Amino acid sequence: MTEPQILLEGFLQALAAGLLVGAIYGLMCVGLAMIFGIMRVINFAQGDFMMLGMYVAFFILVGLGVNNLFGATIGPYVAILLAAPVLLLFGYLIHRLLISRVTGARTAGLEGEGHYAQLILTLGIALVLQNGSQVLFGSQLVSIRTPLSSAAWEIGPFWGDFVSVFINKGRGLAALFSVLAILGLWLVITRSRLGRSLRAAADNPEASTYMGIDVDRAYRTAFAIGTCITALAGGLLATNYPFHPFVGLEFVIIMYAGVVLGGMGSILGAFWGGMTIGLVQQLSTLVLPTQLQNTAIFVCFLLIVILRPQGFFGRVVERT
Amino acid sequence: MLNVENLRAGYSSVPVLHDVSIEVGAGEFVSIVGPNGAGKTTLFKTLSGTVPAMSGSIRFDGHDLLAVPPHRRPHLGIAHVPEGRQVFPSLSVLENLEMGAYTEAGRRSWKENLKRIYSWLPVLAERAAQPAGTLSGGEQQMVAIGRGLASAPKLLMLDEPSMGLAPTVADFIFDRLMDIRRDAGLTILLVEQRVAEALQFADHGYVLETGRVVLAGDSRKLSADDRVRQAYLGM
Repeated sequence: MTEPQILLEGFLQALAAGLLVGAIYGLMCVGLAMIFGIMRVINFAQGDFMMLGMYVAFFILVGLGVNNLFGATIGPYVAILLAAPVLLLFGYLIHRLLISRVTGARTAGLEGEGHYAQLILTLGIALVLQNGSQVLFGSQLVSIRTPLSSAAWEIGPFWGDFVSVFINKGRGLAALFSVLAILGLWLVITRSRLGRSLRAAADNPEASTYMGIDVDRAYRTAFAIGTCITALAGGLLATNYPFHPFVGLEFVIIMYAGVVLGGMGSILGAFWGGMTIGLVQQLSTLVLPTQLQNTAIFVCFLLIVILRPQGFFGRVVERT
Repeated sequence: MLNVENLRAGYSSVPVLHDVSIEVGAGEFVSIVGPNGAGKTTLFKTLSGTVPAMSGSIRFDGHDLLAVPPHRRPHLGIAHVPEGRQVFPSLSVLENLEMGAYTEAGRRSWKENLKRIYSWLPVLAERAAQPAGTLSGGEQQMVAIGRGLASAPKLLMLDEPSMGLAPTVADFIFDRLMDIRRDAGLTILLVEQRVAEALQFADHGYVLETGRVVLAGDSRKLSADDRVRQAYLGM
């Protein structure tokens, strides 16, 4: 291989890795976009909801015998899919019991729309989930293993006999599922009656009441969907990423950056925000040492926010 | 249709309304006029349930309204077009109207209703795809009225539809309201600071001052009343 061929292959490989990781980051961000971007609820426990999604998928896989039933290839994906409704219910209950006290109609007229209370409450929930998980699950790394994670598709060679891109099958599949999930959610939010009522409740809770919408229920539904989506992303990530009870901390910041990059209130924007972060993270390894990956992400984040404060898809319309 | 008796309501423990009684019969156009701070908007919010009642009763179409949670009241046939328009800014004009049709009745008659709303307020058809937050004040007021009509209500409650609008725009909106009333035979309850217009179009009127009804009756008689003429009509 010649020097340019090596460079090109390195670049294409990083680009492919960025797109695949970016799709999963995108799904995570979309989950937070439901809660923070659309409903404007600050949730610092989002990363820990993702961690729970990972553990629930793991225990469904090994504990409930899904692995034996469906085999090692399909089993993990069945477990991840089954974990989603569990986390939907979890999100629903957490909102009903705790978060509802600091969101929705109750805080609509308050200064900061209840953000101060949300900040403290969700930080508290995050701590309880992290420490509780450490007690229950231990602190050693676990992963949702699938043989697909150690197999790859080869694309190429593009340049004579050289320059091929290898796509990890596990990551490829996870990215595909992520994109499908986002498209499904996007259709629900933009086209369905439910989606419209959620956006209306976020836009103007008081006027929504005058339309006959149960605003508290709308907030609860959005919260549950957001929790479920991020947990689904966690499960998909876990097929390639060993995890532990504190894994949420690494990702909650990425999620917030993705939502802000994409533009508050936009589902597709959050996806592109997450995608951007994945791409920057992977492409930066070409020129920077890996320890600086996260630094590169936030330097790019700052640059984009300076140039385009409303994010890629941000709306310029003021909220009431 | 709507019967409010001895209503006392307000924020926390401070009452804004003291002992308010009003009545709106089916098909009537009733105006409530009065100065700033009289409690007109609070009365509407109490009817819709976003301000709690302290005592008294509200009956609507055979229901005890105070026993119905706020978000169920629109489904009984009450459309509240709130003060300051309060459109959903990030939703398109059409989506705003669709939100109006969130009630069972609104969904059933959505297609015919939309056609009628567009015929009364053609600008909404032109702007259907535009986010409501980007419209002018007058257009947003039309969105708010259209949204109220989309619920196929029995009672349309309008809170200061002329607020913040240029006089010609406000006149246009009042003309449309008269068209809508004539075509649809709707029962309308209007709160307004433009006292002359509010009484000119109404069957009955109430004058609300500092949370109490101080005058009530046939709107023509009210317009002729010396106190009303001096205080509100500048004569």
